[in-house]
Amino acid sequence: MFKSYISFCSMCLLLCLGWAQPETGNLLIKGGTVLTITQGVMPNTDILVQNGKIKRIGKNLRTPKGMKVIDASGMHVMPGIIDAHSHAGLSSINESTSAVTAEVWEGDVINPYDITLYRALAGGVTASHAMHGSANAIGGQCETIKHRWGVLDPKDMQMQGAPRTIKFALGENPMRVHGSGKRVLPSSRMGVEAVFRNAFSKAKEYEKEWKAYKDEQANNPAAVPPAYNLRMQTLVDVLNGDVLIHCHSYRADEILMLMNVCKDFGVEKICFQHVNEGFKVAPELAEFGAMASVFADWWAYKFEVYYSTAYNAAILTKNGVITSINSDSGELIRHLYHEAAKTQKYGGLTDNEALRLITLNPAIQLGIDDRVGSIEKDKDADIAIFKGHPLSIYSVPQTTIVDGIVRFDINNDPSDMRIYVDPEEKILPVFDEGHHHDNCMQDVWWLFEEE
Amino acid sequence: MVLLCLSLAPYHSLLGQRSGNSTSTNLQPVSQTYAITGATIIQSPGKQLDQGTILIKDGLIVSVGSDVDIPGEAQVIKVDSMYVYAGFIDGMSHTGIPKPKAASAQQTGNRSRGQSRSDSANPPNKDAGIQPEQDVKDVLDPKDGSIGALRKLGFTAAHVVPRGKMLPGTGSIILLTGNSPDEMVFRAQSSLFSQFVTASGVYPNTIMGIMAKWRDLYRQAELARTHESSYAQKPAGMKRPAYDRVIQAFYPTINGDRPVFFKAEKALEAYRALALAEDLGFPIVLTGLQQGWDLTSKLQSANTPVFLSLDLPKAPKSSDKKKEKESDLSEIEKETMALTKRKAEAYKQSCSQAATFAQAGISFGLSSEGAKVKDIPANLRTMIKHGLSEEAALAALTTNPAQMLGVSDVMGTVEVGKLANLVISNNSYFAEKSNVRYVFVEGVMHEIEAPKPKKKSGAAPTAQAVGKWNYTVETPQGSSSGLIIIKGEDGNYSGTISNEMMGADQELSEVDVSGDELTFSFSFDNDGQTMSIQVTGTIEDTDMEGVMELGGFGEAPFEAQRTGDPE
Repeated sequence: MFKSYISFCSMCLLLCLGWAQPETGNLLIKGGTVLTITQGVMPNTDILVQNGKIKRIGKNLRTPKGMKVIDASGMHVMPGIIDAHSHAGLSSINESTSAVTAEVWEGDVINPYDITLYRALAGGVTASHAMHGSANAIGGQCETIKHRWGVLDPKDMQMQGAPRTIKFALGENPMRVHGSGKRVLPSSRMGVEAVFRNAFSKAKEYEKEWKAYKDEQANNPAAVPPAYNLRMQTLVDVLNGDVLIHCHSYRADEILMLMNVCKDFGVEKICFQHVNEGFKVAPELAEFGAMASVFADWWAYKFEVYYSTAYNAAILTKNGVITSINSDSGELIRHLYHEAAKTQKYGGLTDNEALRLITLNPAIQLGIDDRVGSIEKDKDADIAIFKGHPLSIYSVPQTTIVDGIVRFDINNDPSDMRIYVDPEEKILPVFDEGHHHDNCMQDVWWLFEEE
Repeated sequence: MVLLCLSLAPYHSLLGQRSGNSTSTNLQPVSQTYAITGATIIQSPGKQLDQGTILIKDGLIVSVGSDVDIPGEAQVIKVDSMYVYAGFIDGMSHTGIPKPKAASAQQTGNRSRGQSRSDSANPPNKDAGIQPEQDVKDVLDPKDGSIGALRKLGFTAAHVVPRGKMLPGTGSIILLTGNSPDEMVFRAQSSLFSQFVTASGVYPNTIMGIMAKWRDLYRQAELARTHESSYAQKPAGMKRPAYDRVIQAFYPTINGDRPVFFKAEKALEAYRALALAEDLGFPIVLTGLQQGWDLTSKLQSANTPVFLSLDLPKAPKSSDKKKEKESDLSEIEKETMALTKRKAEAYKQSCSQAATFAQAGISFGLSSEGAKVKDIPANLRTMIKHGLSEEAALAALTTNPAQMLGVSDVMGTVEVGKLANLVISNNSYFAEKSNVRYVFVEGVMHEIEAPKPKKKSGAAPTAQAVGKWNYTVETPQGSSSGLIIIKGEDGNYSGTISNEMMGADQELSEVDVSGDELTFSFSFDNDGQTMSIQVTGTIEDTDMEGVMELGGFGEAPFEAQRTGDPE
């Protein structure tokens, strides 16, 4: 019922607005302990939301007539959690046929019906970075999505206006997919570096050709354009800083290598993902201005990631690296607040430092911190309400709001929230379906199958 | 000798079918003039003429009315109490396009570790499923059985497209009769066909890759077309535009003259195809939609033509559970019930899709692609049962597709001047017990044999069940495979089943074949407990799929391939 109501509303809205804008809402969140992230903790505070934006934050705000009120007394109210590394809500993850696939784009294959997105909402996560996998040295472009569960058009999941991002990958994944799997470059770590340098050099040539054409066109309208190539064009955009690099990485030597490549080609913005050896090169990362998105305590799942520590996030943070904690998993995404809390056990981060790892810092890494990541006037009303402090092991998410719309409510949470059901599905008494971990290598296993 | 007999058998049956099903595919009829008299004529949806006569001459309808002079040379077809409709038009299918033969062992060998992998990044266009230059008339086989099968149901014209992957080629509108591809083609290269099907193992290997490749190709084509037109004006001193058959195949679409027919069964595929069309600005027609009930307003506002699929999901079995008190049910039973309920709702939504579109005021057509041809009449009746009016159903088969395919001046209604494309059934077409008796395609008569009366126990077997079947069953414990052997003949079947878990072969009991459905049961000893298993399978050619009911342990789907005759 709830679901069909949402689709009815969004349909009405589509008719009115020509489906340009996803639906937004109005509400008043009353009397909660507001963890603003940027302006400290405000006890017993109200938040007024209008048209999906935070309009006022204060005590005893007047309730506008007819406005929906959420009683948050005794609750903790925090900015919606942001996951800087996820593969939830995607139909394809790896276009693993080539070591460079900059032209493919996750925004083309958003699956708003993936139940993982609803489960993420149930863990207070309102936005995620839907990433290409790590099969290729230069993978595809990623897409920042908002978890507007219930929308049917994949476009309505996109966070319109969020900067473009692209996935790069170091080390063993591209090596085994292309080197061992197909006997092509790269089959070594230095081969991965060569892939970056070759691709960037070609992109520079491509840009030059097009510039020459545009210059000639000014005098000669019949000038012949060079061959168009979406892959090269995307890399030109990367070199010009229009697409932020998010790079799958583990080893310190490779992290330094990629920063050198970036320096050589004038690329300034980069966020390393996983970065399990980031603690070894934290000052270098800070000096470059590179950022890091890490697991709280997950490693040793392959050779290159045996050397790591649960203190990674704290060490990076203390060294001034903008750090976030991500899930990369349909299971971890449901309790990122636990993951953030681990940095208090391992590294003694303050409450606010720990919460920043799953709110404002991932927002900075995705270039959306002007709109989300903290509770501030004029920011998007993406808000998670918890019973108990979110860093407490006893806390339970209650309500999750995206653009002022309640997308998860623990008191209205039917057991089957799927949007489309296969009318021919087999209903079998399966007891453990298992949860999916680490989709980084999805769509590539065919390479390793013996035929 | 045995071999020789076997190889002749299919040929014989083919000849038998020909002479039985149609009177005139090969022989010139005595007269090209027919008078169809005494019929209830549905001239167009909602417009009915009782006791009318239709006069056909040289492939055209020359007269329709209750008072028509019948010339002496006319062959009179008395169809008193029968119903005449305009011939149906299939919005999109592979009718007349033979299925590719299964890859030979050598080809399969090449596909593994060897070459195809090493150039997976840069495959030749053909290997990547990118063949927009392919023309369906070059792969059309007038003798393909699918043409007669669709015609028997009353279809007289079809928009057909090549089989393939992402961009299989251009489609044509064909008439469903004729001895050569050229004779059948009504309008060539009327569409560019695309679908979200990847050529596995090479770029583009994912839906995401298909989207990017589409953007890349289309933008290249736009630039190449501009280059070509400036070259045509003043070639001297200008770099010659490269000849590229793939790129050039996009020009008519860029010019707006050849819409892209995008196959989109699921809602997501529809959204993606529409997004691509909007971004790149090409004209699009959605076909084969099965899950589009939420897209009506979007399609309406973009004015996108749509052909809904004639395929419907299998009806869920009504649960024969005793009506127990909810409190008596275990957690897992409650959950199963809730899931079953949602499944039934989804089935209902699928069957109501056409009605939903009609209620939204959308003129849609229908596409037979993906549907089992023999199920089409029953599927139409199911759509009607779920709220589609008979009038709207007829419009979706006649006037709407004629309009959407741009052939409404000559097809879609029973009117003077139109092609003599007619379907004549012995009852209202959508009635349960209705049989098509005559189909006219451009004035060529095809008489359809009345179906044989059913035998008492059930329908006569129509499928080859006797044989060896390799099967794989998906049980909650994982998949397992084995061999089913069916012997005997109608009324006296027997057989065995083997399985790695059961050990010895088990005898089958209650083996029956009804229509294309094979049913049997067997039991075996499972750690001292006797398990009884009921099996139902539907056979299509050499494939069978169905379910095994595992006593009290739920259902397990299985698939089987016929590998030969029983020894």
